[in-house]
Amino acid sequence: MKLSTYNFLTSMAIKGVKVGFPLKLTISKKEVVESEFNPTFVERILPKLDWSAVYGAAQVAELTDDIPAVQPENVGENELLLQKLHHLLFEIDVLEGQLECPETGRVFPITDGIPNMLLNEDEV
Amino acid sequence: METPYTDHLSLEDFEHVYEPAEDSFLLLDALEKDLEYLEQLQPHLCVELGSGSGVIITALAKKLAGFSLCLATDINPKACNATRRTATRNGARLDSIRCSLADALRPQSVDVLLFNPPYVVTSDAELQTQHFDSHSESSTDRNLVFSWAGGQDGRRVTDILLKQLDDILSPRGVLYLLLLRENKPEEIIKYLEGLEFRAVKFMERRIPGEHLYILKVTRSSAAS
Repeated sequence: MKLSTYNFLTSMAIKGVKVGFPLKLTISKKEVVESEFNPTFVERILPKLDWSAVYGAAQVAELTDDIPAVQPENVGENELLLQKLHHLLFEIDVLEGQLECPETGRVFPITDGIPNMLLNEDEV
Repeated sequence: METPYTDHLSLEDFEHVYEPAEDSFLLLDALEKDLEYLEQLQPHLCVELGSGSGVIITALAKKLAGFSLCLATDINPKACNATRRTATRNGARLDSIRCSLADALRPQSVDVLLFNPPYVVTSDAELQTQHFDSHSESSTDRNLVFSWAGGQDGRRVTDILLKQLDDILSPRGVLYLLLLRENKPEEIIKYLEGLEFRAVKFMERRIPGEHLYILKVTRSSAAS
């Protein structure tokens, strides 16, 4: 699971959960998958992402030196930051770990790079 | 659009995961036919529900690599795994998530949604004997039944999706939905109009024993 994907995941399908976002991420095994840097793509996708979850992911991935806690203005003009965001969002593949619902504490394991967000019938 | 390689998947995989067939290829052909539209749309997020082997979303991910994030969901862990392997084999950038439909995704975030649902008309009992829970890793033949058995009118799963569509699609979102004539496409089009969506039969194909359609669905409020 890439950290860009993490930004789109929610546990709000659980009965009673209001927002379910951002999920609490734990990484126990990750790999870096190099991919072509496309600054325009990173810039285009940013408005769709929640910066606090981007920053949260950076903290867990231990890359906070690269990513500021508050989204700076004119990120598009900051190629170095775009490059760091590219690395954080598209090159780090979480292989093992977990996601936790911020409201109920329900844990969703990540195994072989695939988060298991399937809920049981009594949870929905 | 190139058909992705599937030589990494074995016969054993296809005992648990739906093997690409005529319906899959029709959906691929529809995306190919609409590629100009999709490229103009510049979708941020493309998602295939029930991705199975992953060939469709992999083909799209390769085409839209420069501007889209692509995700695939499936309830079947073997399908999630097959999709991930298909993406890797074909050098496509996408992630696989195990969940039901778009349950795990933030609301109204999907710009392009693809769904080749379990559309075969079966008894509802066939579906009710299906039970996936999040702890079951063991896979049985039932996995495969779930990939095609659609219950009454072959619509049980499709109808659930249609009810959630407003929560899933972004304001400019588009859904490509595969249907069988027995699924009553006209009825679905009318139903969607009532929910302020515009649905058209975008493509159709007759194959032995089946008359397949691709429905293209957008919000009535979106520019055409």
